Amino acid sequence: MPDDILLKVDGLQKRYGDFEALREITFDVGRGELVCIVGPSGCGKTTLLKTIAGLLPATSGTIELDGASVTGPHPRMAIVFQEYGRSLMPWMTVRGNVELPLRHKLSKAERHAKANAALEAVGLGDAANKYPWQLSGGMQQRVAIARAIAYDPEILIMDEPFAAVDAQTRADLEDVVRDVWEKFGVTVLFVTHDIDESVYLGQRVIVLSMSPTVVQEDLVVDLPDQRDQLNTRALPRFTELRTHVYEQIQLAKQRAGKAA
Amino acid sequence: MSVSETRLIKLPPKKTRFPKWLRLPLEWFALPILIVAAWTLISTIAPNPRFPAPAQIGQSFATNWLNDTFFSDVLPSLGRLGLSIVLAILIGVGLGVLVGSNRWLRELLEPIFEFFRAIPPPMIVPLLIMVIGGGDGMKIFVITLGSMWPILLNTIEGVRAVDSVQKETARSFQLTGPERLTFITLPSASPQIMAGIRQALSVALILMVISEMVLASSGLGYRIEVFKQNYEYAAMWSIIVLLGLIGVLLAVLFQIAERIVLNWYRGLKEAERA
Repeated sequence: MPDDILLKVDGLQKRYGDFEALREITFDVGRGELVCIVGPSGCGKTTLLKTIAGLLPATSGTIELDGASVTGPHPRMAIVFQEYGRSLMPWMTVRGNVELPLRHKLSKAERHAKANAALEAVGLGDAANKYPWQLSGGMQQRVAIARAIAYDPEILIMDEPFAAVDAQTRADLEDVVRDVWEKFGVTVLFVTHDIDESVYLGQRVIVLSMSPTVVQEDLVVDLPDQRDQLNTRALPRFTELRTHVYEQIQLAKQRAGKAA
Repeated sequence: MSVSETRLIKLPPKKTRFPKWLRLPLEWFALPILIVAAWTLISTIAPNPRFPAPAQIGQSFATNWLNDTFFSDVLPSLGRLGLSIVLAILIGVGLGVLVGSNRWLRELLEPIFEFFRAIPPPMIVPLLIMVIGGGDGMKIFVITLGSMWPILLNTIEGVRAVDSVQKETARSFQLTGPERLTFITLPSASPQIMAGIRQALSVALILMVISEMVLASSGLGYRIEVFKQNYEYAAMWSIIVLLGLIGVLLAVLFQIAERIVLNWYRGLKEAERA
């Protein structure tokens, strides 16, 4: 378990009326960690993230960031949404989008510098004056990542950010996340339904059960820190880990089947 | 196929009968010129005092409008029209944002809106004259009231339709209220708002004339009443020409504004089609 805990989720429960989406979620994320959350589809991954991000109220349980309770959107958290096409503003240029959240806290020159650095980091240094709709889906999601990074968050929360892009773009974007994580020293909480992605990206993988959701397993990914698409995925340990996570998720589905 | 071979294939030059600089004026003016010519021909073969020849109408246009009356009748009318449109946009958009972003207010007000919208604005002119008199205030009130509805109702729809992910993005990045309004709500609703303004312009022009037909001492609506009483057919036709020209002017101004405000929207739609 991490020594320097940044995010603490404790006994989180979320009900929608009679429907219990999340039963009891408890885990910690250490400062500077990259943690993936993976679970079968329909297990409430998005609900969990939105609750952690303060966009949805929890029914019970607590979320703490740096020891302080999170009850609403938090200035030290930034979210990358799954639907990049809808989370970027089509009436603003790439630069306008990246600078939008900085307007009320930075001067124009500071915003400019932050946006440039963030766009540079995601490989979009020369697209600042384009509109999002002039870019491909993968590039749009890079803009959303740049916007979140420029916001200078303590923790970056990503909700299945690459679910809607093709496989090759997805591999590129996974490496962008690793790069940005290393370069900016930000903590990353990354939700995905893709088992390979979770093992490739994460230092830890948290496996969720089916709804009503609990943490089924909290797994340390003991792969080398230097990861790349060819070699890391070819490691025997990678295969072992992904097989293990896969089995856990199958188990979760079977249990849910029996309970139903 | 090698590069040198591909060079041999040349696209035939586009055949254009008219030089490029002539094409736009031709598109615009060819049909009007044809109509005027036909009208001239008919009015020469079978003259009718109710349908004077275009030359006569033109002459009447010059004597009636290209002098002091431009300042005493045309400009005041245009001034009231312009002011009313600005007021209609301000009230329509302002109220529309308020009602569109507040579900409770929307449910409370929508039945009342439907009721008032159904009342033809000219019908309230006599009542208004009794209450606030027949001055500029009444005319501006009538034009504003009538042309505000399409803007108001479109703005409400536009504000309601702001994307939920965009709203969540704004919330999660803790945008302030004024920032949300300026950078999310208004631009997102701008296509609907502009559609409302387009409708409002034609309604406003109609109401400008109607508001001046009753109890007025100047303005285009007043003038046409005077011409009617004196059987000045050419002058009546000239006023129709003048109103047509004002309509074209409004349409051109609107298109310029739309090009600026909705530039992103056109690009987005083109990108979606591609």
